Amino acid sequence: MLHFYKEDNYNLEFCVTHEVHSQFMNIFKDCNPLHSNIAFAREKGFKSEVMHGNILNGFVSYFIGECLPIKNVIIHSQEIVYKNAVYLDDLLSFDAVVTETFDSVNAVEFKFNFKNAESKVVAKGKIQIGILT
Amino acid sequence: MQRLDILKEVNDIFIDVLDDESIVLSEQTTAADVDGWDSLTHIQLIVAIEKKFKLRFTSKDIQSWKDVKEMIDCIVTK
Repeated sequence: MLHFYKEDNYNLEFCVTHEVHSQFMNIFKDCNPLHSNIAFAREKGFKSEVMHGNILNGFVSYFIGECLPIKNVIIHSQEIVYKNAVYLDDLLSFDAVVTETFDSVNAVEFKFNFKNAESKVVAKGKIQIGILT
Repeated sequence: MQRLDILKEVNDIFIDVLDDESIVLSEQTTAADVDGWDSLTHIQLIVAIEKKFKLRFTSKDIQSWKDVKEMIDCIVTK
C-alpha cells in the first residue's frame, strides 16, 4: 500500500510529565488515589503514583495523527495491554511496526510497545487504521 | 475447504465483527439483509476474512460482490 509497507517501523519518545498527568486528571476527573496519592500507591506495592494507562493511548493517538507519512488516517481499532507501571517523569520509548496491510479496504495494522528507561515493556498493543480517500 | 465450511467460517466472522449471534448467512444474503453491515463494519469484515483465510482481495474484487455467494466464489479462487 502506498506510504505503508510491511515491517516499516517508527520510533518515538514520550515523557509522562507533571503537566500531562495533571491535565489528564483535570480533563477526565480520574483522581483515583492510585494516580494521585503516593502513600496509597506505596501501600499497594508501587514505588510512587501510577500514571493513568490511558495517557499512553493519548501518545498512540499522537503517533497516528501526527507522525505517519500522511494525515488522511483514521483509527479503526486499538488494543493495549499494560505490563508494568509507568511513573511520573518516566521516559518511554515507543516502537511501532507495520504488521499487515489490507489494500482492498485501505487499512494498515501496526503492533506497538512502550518501554521504560530500564527497557522493560510497560505496554504493548495493536492498532488498525484506515486511509481516508 | 468446501463452500459450506467457508460459509460457516464467514458466518462466524460476521457474528464476531457485528456482535450479533443471530446472524445466519446464506449465499443469497446481501448487505441489505444484515443489520449493521455498513461501510465501516465492511472494512472490519474484509480485514477479518483476509486474516482468517490468509489471502488478499483487491478493491476491484470486493466492489464486484453482490451477495455472499460472490464473496465465497472469490475466496475459493484465491
